[in-house]
Formats: sequence, C-alpha cells, structure tokens
Amino acid sequence: MFSNTLFLLSAVLTVAGALMVVYTKNLMHACIYLLASFFGIAGLYACLGADFLAATQLVVYAGGVIILMLFAIMLTGGTGNKVNRYGLEKIPAMGNKKTYFTAGFTAIVSALILVKITMSAMSGNPAVANLTNEPTVERLGTILATDHILAFEISSVLLLGALVGAAVISRPRKEIHD
Amino acid sequence: MNNSTVVSYFSQSNEFIHVHAWLSKALGFDATSLMAFVIFAVIALIIVGAMATIGGLGTYAERKISADLQARMGPNRVGPFGLLQFLADGVKMIMKEDIITTNADKFTFNLAPVLCMVGVFATLAVVPYSSGFILADLNVGIFYLVGMASLVGVGVFLGGYASNSKWSMLGGMRGASQIISYEIPATISIIAIVLLAGGLSMKTLVGAQGGLPHEWFLFHNPFAFMAFFVYFIAGLAETNRAPFDLPEAESELVSGYHTEYSGMKFGLFALAEYIEIFVVCGVAVALFLGGYKVPFDLGSGAMLVEKLGLDSMLSQNIGQLLELGAFVSKTLVLYYVVIWVRWTLPRLRVDQLMTLCWKYLTPIALFNLIGCAVWMYAFNGKSIFTLIFSAAASGHGGH
Repeated sequence: MFSNTLFLLSAVLTVAGALMVVYTKNLMHACIYLLASFFGIAGLYACLGADFLAATQLVVYAGGVIILMLFAIMLTGGTGNKVNRYGLEKIPAMGNKKTYFTAGFTAIVSALILVKITMSAMSGNPAVANLTNEPTVERLGTILATDHILAFEISSVLLLGALVGAAVISRPRKEIHD
Repeated sequence: MNNSTVVSYFSQSNEFIHVHAWLSKALGFDATSLMAFVIFAVIALIIVGAMATIGGLGTYAERKISADLQARMGPNRVGPFGLLQFLADGVKMIMKEDIITTNADKFTFNLAPVLCMVGVFATLAVVPYSSGFILADLNVGIFYLVGMASLVGVGVFLGGYASNSKWSMLGGMRGASQIISYEIPATISIIAIVLLAGGLSMKTLVGAQGGLPHEWFLFHNPFAFMAFFVYFIAGLAETNRAPFDLPEAESELVSGYHTEYSGMKFGLFALAEYIEIFVVCGVAVALFLGGYKVPFDLGSGAMLVEKLGLDSMLSQNIGQLLELGAFVSKTLVLYYVVIWVRWTLPRLRVDQLMTLCWKYLTPIALFNLIGCAVWMYAFNGKSIFTLIFSAAASGHGGH
C-alpha cells in the first residue's frame, strides 16, 4: 500500500510538473516546475528500489542542474528587442499550426514505437514482479569498477575535458601587444 | 527491507506487540503498516518540534554569546536569563504585516522560504540521533542528505530573484554560487570518510567508529583529520555563516537575499539557517567525532542487563538516552564553535571566498581522499592508534 501511494504521488508530481513546465509563460517558474518534476522522478526511482539512482537524481538534477539553469537564465538577459536588424523575429514562434502538427505527429509515432518495443518487457517481466528492496550501492560500485570500467573511464575523461574547457574559456585573455 | 527505521526499534517492545495484536483484531486486518505510519508521523512531529526549538534557542544562543564576546548583557528580560526571547520573537514575526513588494514575483516570492525550510527539514530524516532513534536509516543516507541540502541553494537564489531588489539579487547570486562551490570540498571530504567506513548509510558510518576519542574517524589517520577541518569550513560556507556570510553582508547588502521579506517568511529563512547549522554540525559529529557512540558499549544496554540485572528493553532505552545525550552534546559544542567563529573572524571578500574554495579547499579535499585510499590499502584499514598500540605490544613482546 505504501509503495503504491508513493508511486501515485511521484507520478502525479512528475507529470504535473512536466505539464506546468510547458504551459507556464515565465521561464523562472518553468525552472521551479522542472524541479518538482525531477523530485517526482526521484520518487519513481525510489519506487523501483533504485535507492542510489534516486539520491543521485536529487544531487545532480535538483542540486546542480536547476541552479545552473537559473544562473544561465540570469546571464542571458531580457529580450528587449524582438526583431533583429534584418526585420526577422529573434524568438521563433512557439505555436503555429505547422509546429503543433509536427509535434503531435512525432509524439504519436514515437509513442507507438516505444510501446511496440517495450511491450514484451512490460508484460510479465519477472524483474519487475519480484522487486526486492535490496541495497544497490554495493553492486553498482562493483559493476562500475569491473564490467563497465571502460565506460566509466571514458565519461571521466569527457568530464575532465569539460572542466579544462571551462577553465580555458573563463581565463582572462592576455592583451596582444604589437 | 534492509533500511532500519525508528519503527523497527519500537517493534521490539512488548507494548508494540500487544497494541498490534489488539488493533489487528479490532480492525480486522494486519495493522503493521498503519502502526508504522502512526509511529513515523508522531516521531517526525517530535523531531520537527524539537528542531524548531533548537533553531529558536540557536538565535538566543547567538545573541547571548555575541553579547558575551562584546562585553554586553544580551537578552535578559523575557523569562529566566531571557531564555524565552525566541518565543517573543516568534509571536512578533507572526503578528507582523506580511509585505509582498509590488513588483515581486509573487509565486516565487512565497515559495523561496518554503524551499529553504523543506530542504533543511528533509535532511532531518537521516540525522542519526541514536542507534534506535533515527527516522530512516537509508542505504544512501549521507548521499540523500547532500542532495536534499542543495534545495536550500535554490531557495536562497529564488528568494533573491523574486524580491526584485538589487540587494536581494546580489545576495541571492552570491548565496547560490557560494553554496554550489562549497558543496564540492564538503562532499569530497564526506567521500573520504565513506571510504573508511565502507558504506553510505548513517549507521554504517557511525558504527565503524567507537565511543572513545581514539576510535573516532577524526583520529583515524592524518588525512581524515584534515578532512574534518575542510568539511567544517565548507559547512560554515554552505550555511552562509560568517566568515562566509557574503550573501547577507549587512554592511554592503542591507540584509542580502531576505532584505524584502518580513514577518514569518523572514522567520522561516532564519529558522532554516539555524537548523541547517545543527544538521551540518550533526553530520560532522556523526562522520568524524564518533556520532552517538558511548564508551564501553553502554548504548546497546547489554552491560546494564549483565551488571544491574535490569529488564532488557528498559536497559536498551537507557542506552538510547545515553547515545542521544552523547550525540546532542557533541553537536551543541560544535554549534557553539560556529557561533564563536562568527563573532571572531572578519568577513571574506567575494574573490577570496572563491579562491579559498577552488584553489585551497578542493585540492586539499582531493588530496585527503587519495590519502585515505592509500592509507586503507597500505595499512589494511587500521587506524593510527591501532598501529601504534600493536607496534608497542609487539615491541614489548619481543623482549
């Protein structure tokens, strides 16, 4: 009963948050709704017994990504002039018939494909049926450091590259005297 | 479920079994989850109430200690020694007009203090007050705590943004950048301790230590000793305390991100800050200073049963109270240090703040992490005292 309640709450939070992100007109508010949606997703992970993933979701998305998004919004500044010097609109129109049609069509097609792919997995998958709340941290650590060591290393090199890139970009430029 | 909770402690007692049997009979279904829910609700209310009181008394302690350091009297009118000053302040805050500035973003403005509050209160779920009295001992306890505490940063930032005032905006920006910067050395220091204990759950972390100081992780090895100070400094910065109180620097920013807040919303910000200090100190105690452990294994109550012939549940309860006392007293000593530091050190500049974090604390924390790993590998996880004792014993035996 408890896990059902948790699932319902998380699912409602996720979907409602995501919908509000799309329907709100204020970018700041969209960020907050996205935070709610991320919390819902963390709850969904917790329902599935993936405790480490749920906590990671909170640390990375709720703690890091949302604050970075808020900073990014701050740094972009307002849109005082909506038309550029050639008279074209800087901000693309979000809702005309063409975009709605394309988006709806794409959504239907991708949903059908997803259902087709996951149909066999969803019905009577033993992994979902006997969910145990075993701690996943230890197994996750072992697998990451043994079977998936290459992926682990590649992602760490990627992150290092991003770090060096950020340092290079933010470094004060030297004046070139000639 | 491997996650032990406060309910699993209570379910050992005879009363629980009696009530459970009676309720199951009266209601006609298994009452385990109902009772678990009720116990959780009651304990959560107790913890939130106790923490709100500690937060309130924190404001009193701050004033009294600052008065001591500046040779003043401090609050001394309301109640004995002015102890009830925080209740009077609370009443004042509730009675005050709740002002929302005209151009404020109302939704965000109202949400920001709540986010701060939720972030801090959610961390209380895994703070280990004693071996039985921990609301939920999650497998990922300390990781969950780090994640939840980062909500405070969002709250501070949104509070600064929503007020639509320059002071608040600057304070909020500073607060958010400071919080996410100092999370890094703090988390790396925590990871070093996780490495020593071999687990993320609070009980594993505390259980790997002992009651006496030489069994604490603080004195486990030189790297853990340094990690404690890195964590403590980063914790001060994360709670926006002096010397890192740039977000609310009163000499330049009026009051920082909560300049425009009045009444109870300001109260929520203040309360969140003071409870967060308690949480940060509590985590420092749990990770480095032996947590709730009391010497000679008194916490489990086995010794009381053996020596005094007490009932096992009663002696367990006495052990829990001893553990609770050990944890809270250590935490309050650190709390005192935090307040003491605030009234002793001058404030850093913004560039000094970032230099300290990125050029000093983060490399030191990384060095500690590697040092701890090497220590664990080289000495098979033994603490420095164990090594000294065993060396002394073998040297003695050699004669």
